[in-house]
Amino acid sequence: MGLTEDRERFREVGEERRADLAEFISHGDLGGSGPDRVRIPVKIVDLPEFEYDRREAGGVGQGQGGQPQPGQPVDPEPGDGDEEGDPGEEGGEHEYYEMDPEEFARELDEELGLDLEPKGKRVVEEVEGDFTDTARAGPRGTLDVDEFFKRGLKRHLATDFDGEYVREGLFVAGADVDDVFAWARGNGVPVSRAWIADAAATLAEERGEPVATLDRWESFDALDGEIEREPVSHRIRREGIDSVPFRREDERFRHPEVIEERERNVVVVNVRDASGSMRETKRELVERVFTPMDWYLTGKYDAAEFRYVVHDAEAWEVDRGEFFGVQSGGGTRISSAYELVAEILEEYPYSEWNRYVFAAGDSENAGTDTTESVIPMMESIDANLHAYVETQPGGAAPNARHADEVENALGDADNVAVARVSEPDDVTDAIYEILSTEAAGDGDAAVSEAASGRGGERR
Amino acid sequence: MRDERVEAKREAESLDEPAEAARDLAERLGLEPYPVRYWVVDHDEMNELIAYGGFQRRYPHWRWGMNYERQRKKDRHGLGKAFEIVNNDDPSHAFLQESNADADQKAVITHVEAHADFFANNRWFGLYADRGADGPNAAARLERNADRIAAIADRPAVERDEVERLIDAVSALEDTIDQHNPVDAARSVEEPGIADDVNGPDDDALAAIEDRIAELDLSEEVRRDVFDDEWLEARGEGVEPEEPRPDVLAFLRDYGKRYDPDSGKAVDREPWETTVIDALREEAYYFAGQKQTKVMNEGWATYWESVMMGGEGFAGPDEFLTYADHMSRVLGSPGLNPYKLGFELWTHVELRAARHDVIDKLLRVEGVTPENFHSRIDLDAVAEALDPHPAIAGAGPATLDALADLAADGDPRVDAEAVDRALSARGDDGAIGPDAGPDIERYPWRLLTREGLAERHYVLSRPEHRGALRNVSRETLAERARYMFDVDRYATVDEALADVDRAAGWDRMLEIRESHNDVTFIDAFLTDEFVREGNYFTYEYSRAAEQHRVASVDADDVRKKLLLQFTNFGKPTIVVLDGNFRNRGELLLGHRYNGVPLNEESAKATVERVFELWGRPVNLATIRVEYSDEAIRRAKRRGTEPEGDEVGVRFQYDGGEVTEHDLDPEIRERIAADEVDYDTKPDEWLA
Repeated sequence: MGLTEDRERFREVGEERRADLAEFISHGDLGGSGPDRVRIPVKIVDLPEFEYDRREAGGVGQGQGGQPQPGQPVDPEPGDGDEEGDPGEEGGEHEYYEMDPEEFARELDEELGLDLEPKGKRVVEEVEGDFTDTARAGPRGTLDVDEFFKRGLKRHLATDFDGEYVREGLFVAGADVDDVFAWARGNGVPVSRAWIADAAATLAEERGEPVATLDRWESFDALDGEIEREPVSHRIRREGIDSVPFRREDERFRHPEVIEERERNVVVVNVRDASGSMRETKRELVERVFTPMDWYLTGKYDAAEFRYVVHDAEAWEVDRGEFFGVQSGGGTRISSAYELVAEILEEYPYSEWNRYVFAAGDSENAGTDTTESVIPMMESIDANLHAYVETQPGGAAPNARHADEVENALGDADNVAVARVSEPDDVTDAIYEILSTEAAGDGDAAVSEAASGRGGERR
Repeated sequence: MRDERVEAKREAESLDEPAEAARDLAERLGLEPYPVRYWVVDHDEMNELIAYGGFQRRYPHWRWGMNYERQRKKDRHGLGKAFEIVNNDDPSHAFLQESNADADQKAVITHVEAHADFFANNRWFGLYADRGADGPNAAARLERNADRIAAIADRPAVERDEVERLIDAVSALEDTIDQHNPVDAARSVEEPGIADDVNGPDDDALAAIEDRIAELDLSEEVRRDVFDDEWLEARGEGVEPEEPRPDVLAFLRDYGKRYDPDSGKAVDREPWETTVIDALREEAYYFAGQKQTKVMNEGWATYWESVMMGGEGFAGPDEFLTYADHMSRVLGSPGLNPYKLGFELWTHVELRAARHDVIDKLLRVEGVTPENFHSRIDLDAVAEALDPHPAIAGAGPATLDALADLAADGDPRVDAEAVDRALSARGDDGAIGPDAGPDIERYPWRLLTREGLAERHYVLSRPEHRGALRNVSRETLAERARYMFDVDRYATVDEALADVDRAAGWDRMLEIRESHNDVTFIDAFLTDEFVREGNYFTYEYSRAAEQHRVASVDADDVRKKLLLQFTNFGKPTIVVLDGNFRNRGELLLGHRYNGVPLNEESAKATVERVFELWGRPVNLATIRVEYSDEAIRRAKRRGTEPEGDEVGVRFQYDGGEVTEHDLDPEIRERIAADEVDYDTKPDEWLA
């Protein structure tokens, strides 16, 4: 009661006014976040009040090690010194809400209606599951008693027979032990000759004459006509079991089932055109699309690795820190990047890794590079997803054809996505377009099938 | 009564002994706390208590849930582990975190005792606490409000959402009360009976208030800003309906209606609505005391904690490191830290009072003048002479005999009775008996009186303040000497020093903790020295540079900025200007513009809440500063700050959209306060 209810209400109220993730991705400051922590500005779900304009109000700070010079830039309010809980104090306002990539992925799923189910690829270990498998040897403690008893009972059923019936055979005129044995076995009674010999000896002792002379029945046929053999099961039901013959070979020991634990791991190669035409606004759009996707995939997979490739006419690998900023002067040859991508991905066998190749640029490419080189390479590089993001503020330029050509050639493939971003508002659509495209099949087969099918059509 | 109801809280039996000892020590030091009941709670319970503002039950509202989630997040990330929370009540209830180390627990207890003293003795708390015979009775009152409001929300005829909307609206205005007055006095001038109760019918209210303000020792600037003539008049004469009223909430309660969406008209409130408003308004007054004294109160608690823990070794030597670490974390957090600011200001108050006492005595030595003070007086010798008596400084088993000698002479610094008991507990062999007598090994202060303790902790004898006398300026000396009579009272320096009152600092502190709040405290005691030594500075936003810049390191500027943060809870002052605006029953609120404009987005949202309580269109008059693109461009080019235009604006809300209108110049006149200026930007900033 009480607070629980208040929290529930808060959740409801908060939901209504929650910071919009899409808004953050499109327009927010992505720079405050690291690869493992996503800092999202939160519209503070709090009651409004009359308050000063923060900027105009200014403030007071305390210099660390010396008095600062007027004019020196400062970062206002470096953290609230509110350590202990103070009565009446409402708790500092948090302008940022930090979430880990897992939460980010969940939220983005919800926000965009995505439904990406990461595939486990690499077997990282075999772990013991439930005790569902059995073996003939094992520690006593794991003896499957039920199974043991069942097997014993089966054995019992298999070896038990109607003794009275077999004994009656000895009363057939002229029948000796061997005759009775042959008869009984002929009737499918699981009796041994020794048992019959034994019974005959006992009988002879009781009657004082050899069994051959006992002739209650004319023949075995006469006997069978008169005496109904009682099935074992009936007898057990009537008399119960006095003992179940436990044998060592009936022992079954339970042991755990071996389960292959597959790690869901992903390698993402981010590719960006760094040629002269990629000016700051274009680069920023790339960052807005790629960064959330990186967070998303980090959150979705157990292990995520990121590689960054930039290219002009040549391609080279860079660190994340440099990736979004690099600008070079040269021309553009997108296939150079894919050559490097293919090389990089050799380290990540497709049987063990989920692979994503995200490329971005302004769709400008050299001559027939797209149709002759890039598209065949996109087909040949196995990946869950190949995406191309065209960032062209103000719409497509007439001679920037890369996105169109890729789309024409591979647009129907279920592992190829092409998205166009001309302003920040397009970012979430692009992300949705890309992340909802992933190949449905798991493993190489489906992907290469799709790719080759497409290839066939094209030729 | 509480105790039966408490479910998960364990009373902290293991803390009985330290709590009792801390109480004894606090009282010996001159504090007079409310009784405190201690409870030990786990993380989650602590987070709940913090969410509820230090209480176990509050009325149902989503905000507590929000507080809880925030606190939990802080707690989880280790940003704000709460050691304790104590509420202002008689008795006070202190909730201590289970996971605190023993040393923390002891530190927290000393801290709490000082808070309880502050609650019991500060006048701004008294505004709430002293209105009934039974003291603040806060837990019971909040609980009653919780029950009432929950019962209202459960009524079949009342929608829960409606109750919540109403609570939202009132809570958005919880700071627009008249916190300088008791809750009832500020409510309604049409009901004079209540005000009479508070002031006593014969008092000249205005004169009494003026006296009180005079006591506060404020700069003229603050006096004008905080206690201007209008304010005084409002207090003294009662408010004309046409006069601005600072208690917006009371006005809305008395004259507001509710908007009925079906008829599109304002209708009278249901009685339950008034009940809810009254309950919340009362709570706002209860919490106002805390909000107004945060720096003082936290500083006070931290100061006495350090005396008890550090000075008196309340934590054992083995626990001291943990304590020191705890303290440095509390004081070391960056930014404007109320614990640290308060602690430093209190220390400063103590030092200044002690220094004045000594200076006043020395200036009365024959032949000593401000001019020859430094040359004539051997300040090293003075410092030495002021050192505490060795038996007092080292009070404990070893000095028992020396203390007994002092006690025999009737020395007021020694608790003769305790010494006597300690002596009889001591066997003939000199060993301390285990059970009998005060435990003077652990608690040597039990042998001393307040006077003795004051000498033991004398501020001018502390190593860090030994230079304080030497550093006193001739100017200060001259100022002290100016109004001094009886100048040649002492023949020698020693004679003068014998008269030094070691408790002068503490006495002054006790006085100040009674009468001041954060605004007056900072205004009176934030000195140049303090600002310089703490490297405090002001910052402002530069429109030309589009970033915050250090604006000033001048003490007056820093004080000015700090006062902005503390005056009126650090919020802009909003008053009721007219309850029948444009003769249409509209409400006109005025933002008393002091040079700092409103956050318009939240102001508009708040006006929408006011509408819920007024039922008719609501207007807010304010002034905003506009910067033309041209001005900014020009400023950037010249390396200066752009000049803004102050433009009067009236926002109006009638249930649809907030609309913006030009402000009638006459109204503008009424809200602009030209004499205050919180801007600390230098003239040449970007140069």
